[in-house]
Amino acid sequence: MKKSISRWLGILSILLGVFAWEYFVRLSGLPRFILPSPLDVGKRLVESLADGSLLYHTGVTLLEVLLGLLLGVTLATVIGYSVAKSRSLEKILAPYLVASQAIPIVAIAPLLVIWLGHGIISKIIICALIVFFPVLVNTVVGVRAVSPALYDMMNSLRATRWQVMFKLEVPASLPVLLGGLRVGATLSVIGAIVGELVDAKAGLGFLLKIGDFQYDTSMVFVAVIMLVALALALYGIVTLLEKRFLKWQQTAS
Amino acid sequence: MLKKIIIPLILVLALALSACGASQPKADTLTKIRLPLGYIANIQFAPLYAAVEKGFFEEAGMEVEFDYSFETDGVKLVGAGELPFAVVSGEQVLLARSQGIPVTYVAAWYQKYPISVVSKGGLGIASPQDLKGRRIGLPGLFGANYIGLRALLFSAGLKESDVQLESVGFNQVEVLATDQQEVVVGYAANEPIQLKAQGIDVTELRVADYANLAANGVLASEKIIADDPELVRAFVSAFIKGMQYTIEHPDEVYALSAKHIPNLADLDQAVQKEVLATSAEMWKADRLGYSDPQAWENMQDILLEMGLITEKMDLSKAFTNEFVP
Repeated sequence: MKKSISRWLGILSILLGVFAWEYFVRLSGLPRFILPSPLDVGKRLVESLADGSLLYHTGVTLLEVLLGLLLGVTLATVIGYSVAKSRSLEKILAPYLVASQAIPIVAIAPLLVIWLGHGIISKIIICALIVFFPVLVNTVVGVRAVSPALYDMMNSLRATRWQVMFKLEVPASLPVLLGGLRVGATLSVIGAIVGELVDAKAGLGFLLKIGDFQYDTSMVFVAVIMLVALALALYGIVTLLEKRFLKWQQTAS
Repeated sequence: MLKKIIIPLILVLALALSACGASQPKADTLTKIRLPLGYIANIQFAPLYAAVEKGFFEEAGMEVEFDYSFETDGVKLVGAGELPFAVVSGEQVLLARSQGIPVTYVAAWYQKYPISVVSKGGLGIASPQDLKGRRIGLPGLFGANYIGLRALLFSAGLKESDVQLESVGFNQVEVLATDQQEVVVGYAANEPIQLKAQGIDVTELRVADYANLAANGVLASEKIIADDPELVRAFVSAFIKGMQYTIEHPDEVYALSAKHIPNLADLDQAVQKEVLATSAEMWKADRLGYSDPQAWENMQDILLEMGLITEKMDLSKAFTNEFVP
């Protein structure tokens, strides 16, 4: 009984939020172009779903996000692992790694579009860049956190380098790594949008721009809602991955 | 770029938290007016600088401060009643009104739509038809550049899918000069002149030669027109005086404008003077500030064809000549 109520709590809170929003719009009398009501947004949502445009643009952004994640996570884990194992490598790469985080993506996105062209590549790179540092840091922390006692044990069992990596380091650092992936997944959506806001002919960021330029604030909201849904879906997938791969953690405790 | 999401959000918060309405100006002080221009400080805004420097605005009881934020933000602020006026391109008025934003165009500035499609002379792009299948660079898929290009294409029976559009930001001169783009879209009084000054031979297709469209002018909120029509009349009158003065005394106004344009002295003076002269050509009319109803009909047709608006609207509410002397 209790479990089913708790599952509905999330949906209930969203419904409550929507009602509060509708009430606020009616109360304040704000015009549609400043704050559309849930009904306005819902209407726009249905319209853009019906003509297929919303799904098309969401698909474009999703592709950028997934490829960007793939690139960013791969680079981050490979470089992260290497940096975790070698302090000197860490010192050599440190300035560039920190720069990758500190440089505001919004500022260099136009440059990236000029260098990499107007197509999907620039958006994938921007996504990868934004995901890179958080996942890298988590990889380094995760790998370095492996207990020396476990290394000794692997040694005493005469494990090869590959066995140590795949049977000890990877599973041991997975919790922290997946934590970083959760952050990365949501950041990747931001990266795709930043890229699209600079220059795009399709995608949710493009819809955002069009909505803004045509004073269609409902469209802006629809695009934002889809972005949130996208980020939530990715976050949910990572959570599922955690449940699947970290089953051993739960049974151990 | 994220600014486009943040500004409407801030607007919501500001409106929700603020007390109602703007306070009435005292009779003995100048009404402060913040005027969004939609572009960076540039010699093209000379009439406005003239109206400030020659005291036309002051005579009319107002103190005008210029704001160079984005055109669409200006429209929204006027529509929300936060600002009384904005300088915008004609299509913005129809786009805004189609979304229920209560704004009205009260004075025309440019009588001719100021957009040109520019290409290097060697390519032989002599008519809109020659644009078929070409890559065209423009600041983005918004604003006068985009609308002007579409109107030009439309006049030759071409659709957006017949060309390849690429967003290059406000860097049209650089991308054409370095051959990153073969064709770019820009303001007739700006980019072509700058390119010629660099010694590049260019062919220009002026949108105004192919379509009569409502161009840049002064926008006011329905609210201010209802609450304070005298303010609107005074503003329009001062603006038109500024335009008239600039047409008659270009060199004097050029010198006065330097105060408002931070780096004017660093730019090529001959080029900038030509920019001013070319712009002035597009403002001239027997009755300065007059809005041509046909130009508005044409603009509505173009926007309908582009699918940017879905139904015809009452144009008599979109623009008015009642404040034009």
